[in-house]
Amino acid sequence: MTKTYEEINEKIKRGKAVVVTAEEVTGIVKKKGARKAAEEIDVVTTGTFGPMCSSGALLNTGHTKPKMNFKQAWLNKVPTYCGIAAVDLYIGATSIPDDDPANKVFPGKFKYGGGHVIEDLIAGKDISFEATSYGTQCYPRKEIAIKINIKDLRSATLLNPRNAYQNYNVAVNAHAKHPIYTYMGILRPNLGNANYCSAGQLSPLLNDPNYRTIGIGTRIFLGGGTGYVFYPGTQHDPDTERNEKGVPTGGAGTLALVGDMKTMNARFIRGASMTGYGVSLAVGIGVPIPVLDEDVIISCAISDAEIVAPVWDYSQDYPEFKGKPLAYVSYADLKSGKINLRGKEVETASLSSIMMAREIAGTLKKWIKDGKFLLTRPSAPLPRASVT
Amino acid sequence: MLKKSAILHFSSTLVEKPIISDLIRNHKVSVNILQASITPEEDGTMFIQVEGKSSDVGKAFSYLEGLGVKLIFPAKNLMWDEKKCTHCGACVAQCLPRALTVDEKTKMVVFNTERCIACEICIPACPFGALQSVTDELL
Repeated sequence: MTKTYEEINEKIKRGKAVVVTAEEVTGIVKKKGARKAAEEIDVVTTGTFGPMCSSGALLNTGHTKPKMNFKQAWLNKVPTYCGIAAVDLYIGATSIPDDDPANKVFPGKFKYGGGHVIEDLIAGKDISFEATSYGTQCYPRKEIAIKINIKDLRSATLLNPRNAYQNYNVAVNAHAKHPIYTYMGILRPNLGNANYCSAGQLSPLLNDPNYRTIGIGTRIFLGGGTGYVFYPGTQHDPDTERNEKGVPTGGAGTLALVGDMKTMNARFIRGASMTGYGVSLAVGIGVPIPVLDEDVIISCAISDAEIVAPVWDYSQDYPEFKGKPLAYVSYADLKSGKINLRGKEVETASLSSIMMAREIAGTLKKWIKDGKFLLTRPSAPLPRASVT
Repeated sequence: MLKKSAILHFSSTLVEKPIISDLIRNHKVSVNILQASITPEEDGTMFIQVEGKSSDVGKAFSYLEGLGVKLIFPAKNLMWDEKKCTHCGACVAQCLPRALTVDEKTKMVVFNTERCIACEICIPACPFGALQSVTDELL
């Protein structure tokens, strides 16, 4: 049994598509078998919501009068990158104000930065905008300080170089005698806690381990609006070790994502302050997977018990770029709240919100069922593992 | 006997009145002022504990509300702002008394104020500022 993108889209347009989430599909395949499930189900929706530092916004303010070529610019005092054309600027999620004390008084709070500016823009709040320039004959203006609002921007594009990591590390503190402050949260000494950051069985790329349907051009749910995969994300590494089912046992594939911020909802794009580390952006992503055949649904049927993540010591091995994982643990164990490490029961905490991941997969499911969201065939695949 | 904590917000005009003396004299309650920030002609805030017969404590707070004092009743010195919470669960492994937990079914963070000892260790663990110290943030 096979289905084409066109057949599935026809069903969506007629409001007849059968859509389930990546959590629901696991039970269905177990009960009915892959063949029957693949016949009945047209689309599986995935979801994830967690801090993803490699994110940012590409803004175009439209020209000022007289015209100006921004050379330095700040949004709510947060510095942006202006080494592009006159009124284009990029604000990265991790950018912090020039006068932020950062970690001078450790651990720094990082209460406001690029991620929060992006959230505030999407929330429709007015943002202070300051810029300077050296002035040219065609762009004479040298200074500006105004309030801007997303609705007045010529364009506001979320442009994320690396999101939706296919699997990720579990972080612990095995060596330091005190708590350590990392991008994976606060890690208490003596294996006091283990923090993880993946939606597991709901996560987009864990449901399509060999990038069969997710590729360049795939239309997705991004931050409550519509977005696209525009390239493999930075650090995309399909050759990461995989288990017998072909699922990576550590960070592997990644996605570069793009979308119109004017269509987004601040519920699904949230600035994040990582104490002692810096600012980040929690991004809500949902990717639909067309059930082209039985193999596709077998991949989607993967459960948390079958996905493992490597446990890394963030007090020594990880920062020094040495050693190996202390252990591998399953997402079923991680999500139970406790794992066993070196004979010790260790409490787990997630930085990725499963509740939000469910909400996103559920929202995308509804959009497709209601005929509002059609699937796209990738225009080119993501790089795949050299040996599969 | 009932002991209840509250944060009081006074407008600048109310700051001029001896509200706390009136509260004690007229409502047979004892008041413990834990923190206060009062300057003439400016809005003021105060964090108090009111103790007395439960009916008297209720009347005391009604009296304050009647005057136009804004009241917030925090759970101890810690407030969990559910609107800011994304239910990730970054806080739960920091909370040793298990006041913050993730519900098995809904995967939502649940805050049990009875168990909270207001140690505030969870505050820096929340990336979204959903956990706040009442004294740091509101006073």
